[in-house]
Amino acid sequence: MSRRTGVITRTFALHWARALPGARFGFAPRATRRAAFARATRLALEELGPAFVKLGQVASVRPDLVPPEYVFEFEQLQDRVLPLPASEIEAVICRELGRPLSELFDDFEREPVAAASIAQVHRATLVREVRPVIGEVMPAGTPVAVKVVRPRAAGVIEADLAEARRVLGRLDRLGLSRRIDAPALLEEFAASLASELDLRNEGRVSDRFAHDFRDDPFVMTPRIAWTHCSRSVLTMEYVEGWRLTEIDDAARAGVDAFHLAVHGAEVFMRQVLVLGRYHADLHPANLFVTPDSRICYLDFGIVGTTEPAERINIAQVLAATVYGDADRALCYSAELGLVVPPHKQREVRERVGELMDRTLNVPGRPADIKGFATGFLSVMADARVPIPAGYGLLVKALVTVEGVARAIYPEIDITKSAKPFATRLIAAHMARPDRIAERLPAALRAALRELAS
Amino acid sequence: MAEDQFIRFLAAWALVHETADEGWKAAVARGAGQETGSMGAGPEAFVDGLSAMVAEEKERLKASLAAGEVEPAGSKAGLESKLDDLLFEVGELRGRLESMQTTLDAVLAEAAESGEK
Repeated sequence: MSRRTGVITRTFALHWARALPGARFGFAPRATRRAAFARATRLALEELGPAFVKLGQVASVRPDLVPPEYVFEFEQLQDRVLPLPASEIEAVICRELGRPLSELFDDFEREPVAAASIAQVHRATLVREVRPVIGEVMPAGTPVAVKVVRPRAAGVIEADLAEARRVLGRLDRLGLSRRIDAPALLEEFAASLASELDLRNEGRVSDRFAHDFRDDPFVMTPRIAWTHCSRSVLTMEYVEGWRLTEIDDAARAGVDAFHLAVHGAEVFMRQVLVLGRYHADLHPANLFVTPDSRICYLDFGIVGTTEPAERINIAQVLAATVYGDADRALCYSAELGLVVPPHKQREVRERVGELMDRTLNVPGRPADIKGFATGFLSVMADARVPIPAGYGLLVKALVTVEGVARAIYPEIDITKSAKPFATRLIAAHMARPDRIAERLPAALRAALRELAS
Repeated sequence: MAEDQFIRFLAAWALVHETADEGWKAAVARGAGQETGSMGAGPEAFVDGLSAMVAEEKERLKASLAAGEVEPAGSKAGLESKLDDLLFEVGELRGRLESMQTTLDAVLAEAAESGEK
């Protein structure tokens, strides 16, 4: 066992041991027990450093591989590291962009505005005019955020990843992680890391998002200065605004928080149900509210996609959920790959129905999507029903949208936005000529049966 | 007698309309009154919700017709959208080329520098 492997093993063992009283040494109700160990695991990941924090963040968007209590606990992982000296970052910029810093930027601030395990961000201004893909030309002097991949970031994370593989492999053999698909998670992590290390991917997705929402006056993404971009450097417009944690300041400045919260939920639904591409890594740090009352989306590290055939089924599941129709929700979930075996259907249907009543249909209380999702994923896990990756990502994203909307306006009920949106889509689908032709004979037969009865 | 039958047919027709209209109005009222916790679970709730939305759209349509508004020509809107998509694709391609050019210049500058050494 290498020294690092020993440290990893001890850290997990220590935090799990500390969780035992909270879990009443295994005698607490299942949800309490799982929540206690999820918290302990998060603390261990934070203590072990960037690679493990990233691993936890990847896990937090994979409810198909990780139990729901862990998914929602890992959301709170903070990717914070000490910033590298500005000289090291400047060297990367000059090497990658092939010019001295002074020919690219004025007022390059040596103190970073953000520092995470993969990249850090410095504020600067453009020396010369740049034409972005979307929007107005950025004149010389435009403030920009320069995001730079930390030198050696990949190497450090990959070394820790190799150790994590060994430890998780051991846990797997001991059967201690039977509810977590560790090999799949590590594969996912490796793919996500490769994508995040090439910042051009993020820039392209950001541009595409700006194009998708070009007709929406309440949504924006920073313009990208492609002449100042490479694999390890991404230069984008610097957006002034408030983080969601500062939403009270925004409200005092006249921003309509309720409208933005409702609109944010609708933007998400439009991404999933109409455009087929969605920001799957939303969290308060990736969003700003601008002084002109717009939501600014940042950091398109994880993007989910939906195929046209899936979208109508997702709309059906969403509509069934907000209308409280468990049968319909399970029927269309099956179309999306979440198949409940026939002998378990009755039990699952009853539990989902009860869950809907308890979380979504409580008079006088806004619907609790997170409570519903956690319960739903637990019902499926208890029934040993595998959750397809895309389905899990969507459930998680919807919960996050509710969290973000509530960070903007705590009393919001996002089912009130979801209901008309999903209803409209289903109605449009109902009116498609091919569907009418397919369903009309059966409808006529049913009408005749009704008349004859 | 034949006249009576015709009138009876029209009466039946009117009755069907009246019954359908009452059903429709009841569905709209139920849909408009849907709140969290008050929605009746099951497929009927969806139909009621849809009815309420159709009724709202009908009122909007009435208002816009009364105001003499004309719908924009579909072909023009479609053309604008196509043009936007094309402009975006060209812009995206330009962005990629600019970034590649920057990287190429950087590599050439590095090669020249190492050659000088």
